[in-house]
Amino acid sequence: MNLSVNIGKLGLKNPVMTASGTFGYGEEYAEFVDLGSLGAIVVKGLSLLPREGNPPPRIVETPAGMLNAIGLQNIGVESFIKEKLPFLRRFNVPVIANFFGDSVDEYVGAAERLSDVQGIDGLEMNISCPNKQAGWLVFGTDPEVTSEVVSAVRKVTDLPLIVKLSPNVTDIALMARVAEDAGADAVSLINTVSGMAIDIKTRRPKLANITGGLSGPAIKPIGIRMVWDVFRAVSIPIIGSGGIMDGGDAIEYMLAGAAAVAVGTANFVNPTATMDILSGIKDYMTTNGIQDISTIKGGLIWEREDL
Amino acid sequence: MSRFFQAEVSGNIHLSQTHNILKLAPLQPHVRPAAGQFYLLRASETLDPLLRRPFSILRWDDMHLEFLVRLKGRGTLLLRNMRPGDSIDMLGPLGNGYPEPLKDETPILVAGGVGIASVFPLIGSVHAGTRLFYGAVNSTELYLLDDIKKLTGHIYISTDDGSMGFKGNAVERLIESLNDLAIANPAVYACGPEGMIAALLKFLNERGIPGYISFEEKMACGIGACLGCVIKTGQGYKRVCKEGPVFDVREIVC
Ligand SMILES: Cc1cc2nc3c(=O)[nH]c(=O)nc-3n(C[C@H](O)[C@H](O)[C@H](O)COP(=O)(O)OP(=O)(O)OC[C@H]3O[C@@H](n4cnc5c(N)ncnc54)[C@H](O)[C@@H]3O)c2cc1C
Ligand SMILES: Cc1cc2nc3c(=O)[nH]c(=O)nc-3n(C[C@H](O)[C@H](O)[C@H](O)COP(=O)(O)O)c2cc1C
Ligand code: FES
Repeated sequence: MNLSVNIGKLGLKNPVMTASGTFGYGEEYAEFVDLGSLGAIVVKGLSLLPREGNPPPRIVETPAGMLNAIGLQNIGVESFIKEKLPFLRRFNVPVIANFFGDSVDEYVGAAERLSDVQGIDGLEMNISCPNKQAGWLVFGTDPEVTSEVVSAVRKVTDLPLIVKLSPNVTDIALMARVAEDAGADAVSLINTVSGMAIDIKTRRPKLANITGGLSGPAIKPIGIRMVWDVFRAVSIPIIGSGGIMDGGDAIEYMLAGAAAVAVGTANFVNPTATMDILSGIKDYMTTNGIQDISTIKGGLIWEREDL
Repeated sequence: MSRFFQAEVSGNIHLSQTHNILKLAPLQPHVRPAAGQFYLLRASETLDPLLRRPFSILRWDDMHLEFLVRLKGRGTLLLRNMRPGDSIDMLGPLGNGYPEPLKDETPILVAGGVGIASVFPLIGSVHAGTRLFYGAVNSTELYLLDDIKKLTGHIYISTDDGSMGFKGNAVERLIESLNDLAIANPAVYACGPEGMIAALLKFLNERGIPGYISFEEKMACGIGACLGCVIKTGQGYKRVCKEGPVFDVREIVC
């Protein structure tokens, strides 16, 4: 059985990755998951300087999902390199550093620094974060800005560059094409879906930040549809995420066109979710006589020729 | 030994319309808890409700773990309706627990409502002079009194409506009696509703009395990965599930 997949020049032993922000810096889950048996570890989003994040409450449960407004709290690139990376390097697993900035310069600075050290195997740039100067969510929603920031980062790194797209756009296929044209080696989607919850007794928002990002099973159909849209628009690999809870969900994403999957909220529900999903994928392959996982990519059977 | 294991419901006692004690028998080797630690319980096998629910460890022995559950919403309703023989999966013990009192300190336990679950394991276990200030809205919401009486004679009851003991909350009772009790080097251990905790923080800070308070915040992972459960401290945000749930009062920013 061949479970290996390629994300550009980055080879993974299997397609199960962790989704940024849901697996800490890896060490939190080391007690539950054999980190070396993951396809890749994507760490919590990093910025050049540490960030405090939003005030609590930061999370709210919603039907089959959760809203979060963590506000990208993180220890910053330098502390990550010094305090967290040495631990991750002990495992035979690709480490992908997810990062973001408030400006093009900050994106470039973080990417440069992260490309400078041994033990980081890929970069995932999160372009779905708020930007105060230029407007809300602009890095991932305005094609021109996306093109500019991805091109700028591309110039300063030789590491495999994954661009993580926001679902909060009208045409995600367009954004994926822009990322591809600007030099991305892969795209990952979807990040959380913008949402809101209100306490009807107090009439106040349930999150201190008022709005937050929806994740979990509730968003899976949105993720699948967007992967499918993007699959037909670009030729670079896609990492699918959004509500993957079991092996079947991962297969669904791959049939829609994902080369690999990232497991997020499922880790909170079940700390061994990544391992269970991996064995679910293997079971599916055995049951269906599939030798090589990459053969199912985009294997959706469909007939609407006019679409 | 794992902190992620299956357990079987071995008992579920309905104490009232709103509270039950869930007794669980782990089916796998598990780590022994300490006072003030908590577990995340998976209340359902479906995807809605999705997240695990945090509960303080009330009582334990080699075979069982017990939790006091207050009915609040969907998850606690599912836990209330569990029957002996049902299985549940759990994550824990989590968090830091209460620190041991110093040799010359006298522990003063302060519990409001279901906060009794958190401080219960400290009663009678740490110091012969340990005192418990336990308050609830009314006398029918005071639980485990018989068990508590077996562990200590120093109980100071209060109810908001005055239906039993002092009329007012446990902190008001504490403030009122602290001088009379002439306690040497008090150290406060507390868990309770927000208003009570705010009053307690103010009092402890004013009087310079050391204290350890168990805090609650919404949780997703319970193991420090999601950064969802933070509270503000003097050194920035700290995770209730990891650096807490018990914090030294000097750390807390009011
Ligand atoms: C460390 C810790 C220890 C706790 N110990 C106990 C205990 O011993 N006994 C007890 O009855 N309760 C305890 N609680 C509170 C208990 O976890 C909540 O009342 C419970 O999760 C509510 O779930 P629900 O589905 O019934 O309510 P809902 O309101 O439907 O819950 C919706 C969501 O909010 C979360 N939530 C709601 N209230 C709280 C809260 N106060 N704290 C954390 N998350 C919350 C739930 O986990 C869930 O994700 C503790 C909380 C924490 C953080
Ligand atoms: C608590 C939390 C924190 C997250 N933090 C980040 C982050 O720092 N960077 C990022 O690119 N995505 C972040 N995400 C998005 C996830 O990586 C993932 O794309 C999204 O949650 C959808 O997948 P899921 O439904 O499996 O969780 C976060 C999600 C959650 C729930
Ligand atoms: S609940 Fe996830 S960090 Fe505390």
